[in-house]
Amino acid sequence: MKRSVFIFGVVFWVLFVLSGVVFAQGLKLKAGFIYVGPIGDLGWSHAHEKARQILEETYPWLDTLYVEAVPEGEVEGVIDRLINQEKVDIVVTTSFGFMDGTFNAAQKYPDKIFFHCSGFKRAPNMATFMADFHQIYYLNGLMAGALTKSGKIGYVGTFPIPELKRHINAFTLGVRRVNPRAEVHVRWLQTAWYDPQGAKEASEALISEGIDVLAFTEDSATVVQVAGEKGLPSFGHYSPMLSFAPQTLVSGQLVHWEAIYLDFFAKVYAGLYNNTNLEKVDYWWLLGDGAVELGADFGVPINPAFEEALKGYVVDDPVYGKISVYDLVLTVEKAMADPEYAFSPFAGPIKDRKGVVRVPQGVRLPLQDLITMEWAVEGVSGPWPGEPE
Amino acid sequence: MLYRISPLVAYTVFFRGAFGSWYAISETLKRTIPLLLVGSGLALAFRAQVLNIGAEGQILFGAVAATWVALFLSPPAGVTLLVMFLLGFLAGAGWALIPAFLKTRFAVNEVLSSLMLNYVAFNVVLYLIAGPWKGKSVRGFTYTDTFPESAWLGTLGMTKVPYFTLFSGIVVAILGYYFLKKTAWGFELRIVGNSPDTARLLGISEERVIFLTMMLSGGLAGFAGVGEVAGIHHLLRHPSHISLGYGYTAIIVAWLARANPLATLLTAFLLGALISGGDALRVSLGIPFQVVSVFNGLILFFLIATERFGHYRVSVRRKVKG
Repeated sequence: MKRSVFIFGVVFWVLFVLSGVVFAQGLKLKAGFIYVGPIGDLGWSHAHEKARQILEETYPWLDTLYVEAVPEGEVEGVIDRLINQEKVDIVVTTSFGFMDGTFNAAQKYPDKIFFHCSGFKRAPNMATFMADFHQIYYLNGLMAGALTKSGKIGYVGTFPIPELKRHINAFTLGVRRVNPRAEVHVRWLQTAWYDPQGAKEASEALISEGIDVLAFTEDSATVVQVAGEKGLPSFGHYSPMLSFAPQTLVSGQLVHWEAIYLDFFAKVYAGLYNNTNLEKVDYWWLLGDGAVELGADFGVPINPAFEEALKGYVVDDPVYGKISVYDLVLTVEKAMADPEYAFSPFAGPIKDRKGVVRVPQGVRLPLQDLITMEWAVEGVSGPWPGEPE
Repeated sequence: MLYRISPLVAYTVFFRGAFGSWYAISETLKRTIPLLLVGSGLALAFRAQVLNIGAEGQILFGAVAATWVALFLSPPAGVTLLVMFLLGFLAGAGWALIPAFLKTRFAVNEVLSSLMLNYVAFNVVLYLIAGPWKGKSVRGFTYTDTFPESAWLGTLGMTKVPYFTLFSGIVVAILGYYFLKKTAWGFELRIVGNSPDTARLLGISEERVIFLTMMLSGGLAGFAGVGEVAGIHHLLRHPSHISLGYGYTAIIVAWLARANPLATLLTAFLLGALISGGDALRVSLGIPFQVVSVFNGLILFFLIATERFGHYRVSVRRKVKG
């Protein structure tokens, strides 16, 4: 009797452990990430790669691999290889130019799941995602407005697309809140997302025109370095750039793609998301979702070197009364992250630089208007390709 | 080994990635097509010692002409592709005429002038996609709109291999060979390449040969450019994503083929496999793309470095005893 109980017990445990192993293997997922840039840049692809590493470390049931520097027309071939050779279940593509290729692959492999960054085409097995910076740009604008002495702030942009226009507008609205006469001078590179040489020339040209604060969108730390050499305050982009200019980098925008990845992959693993219900899944994650962060480095929202200057710049704010810009930044940041209040930089009334009312009193621009923005706010100076008449 | 990957595994992945399955072969063929079209044209030019290094720019000009036809000229749907290839060929040939003219009229070295024109073509494409041709449906990104489907090339099954350009490439390589060996113009071309003095003695116009080879190689590059946008991209995008350096790789294709158009059938396929196998290394082994480029570069380097030995014959000689 005792013996049979013992044997039963042993058999039970062996079966239990075996089934656990089999079960766990059955639920293991594999994901392939496709980047348009090299992971060694300091921008977009680098940030996605960091997030992939965090994702892989966090979820024991997930294996990941990546392919960098994939030309846009080649994405379908790379997806073929990932799915057929490497047997991945989920494909993540991180460039707007991958949209059609990813969409075609989603039709071709209906039982796989696709997750595309920054596009607008979705399918039952293809979701989209984006972490947007416009709130962070507004906060950086508040600081830039306080730090400029000449009233001219420089902005180096890569391509005049709605995303950058939205960011420059938010930045300028921030500048104007604390310094109503200041202007943001824009230079477009229009060459590549990673163009250190172009960024260097553009920053030097702006400096020679008398600007004394620099912000930018480009995938290297060049603008921060040029500003650092001249002793001018600047704002970092995408990655922590404090080490490139410890004395002159004020703050910047930082991304946490892992916030979105962790959420999406957990939902796929749990079966909430599958290859039939992603048609309406579109992540547009902001400050309140933890997808973006204000900072010169993670956990350093404002470089201590600028604390004194920003605390000493006191404005008469229409909402908060007499307040230092340092406190204003932290207060507005809290207000934007708070889901109850959710302050938006694009709350009316806002006119464009040609005098047309773009956001009426009492209106907050909805998502659709934010992602298709072509106009420029008052205070933006310089060329603006595609500006509506 | 540097990445703790055994060379055996790397080569296995490499060959499997280039030939191991239908999609691997299709990826190889996809790269072979432009290399074959451009390479066989360049073989003709190189045979006449006309060093056209500007194929990259000529590819881009073909792509630009094709885009113009597809998006702005909008001919009847039935002839769209025909007009695209025709104008694409002419655009590539026209772009190649500039160095030909400079060489014949002002004795400007065609290596330099054709190479410089690549950068001009690159920036022309950049200007077009960021400026006047920027699409209405691309949310402000720098692409043109997508071509209407009448301007898309049919592909083999589920692959991305356009059969028309694949077929054309093979035909062009064979015709190029016959042109070179059997026609009077081909004969003139070879004489000019082998011995310009003899050519002058025979009264062969060197100028005509220069124009002819430049136009043929440029035109074929333009033709390949049409194939890339009509077969793969279906729009005009950043120039470095349109051509992937095919214009430069094709120089090696023609060179390894010893300027024999027929041999480019082999060398273009070889280099197509090299690119495709390199992709597999990146995907399956996570090797950084720079390392893959070095790996590919080394293979090429050894190919070229040992090419000379192909000219020698192994023979055993005995000392003649006196």
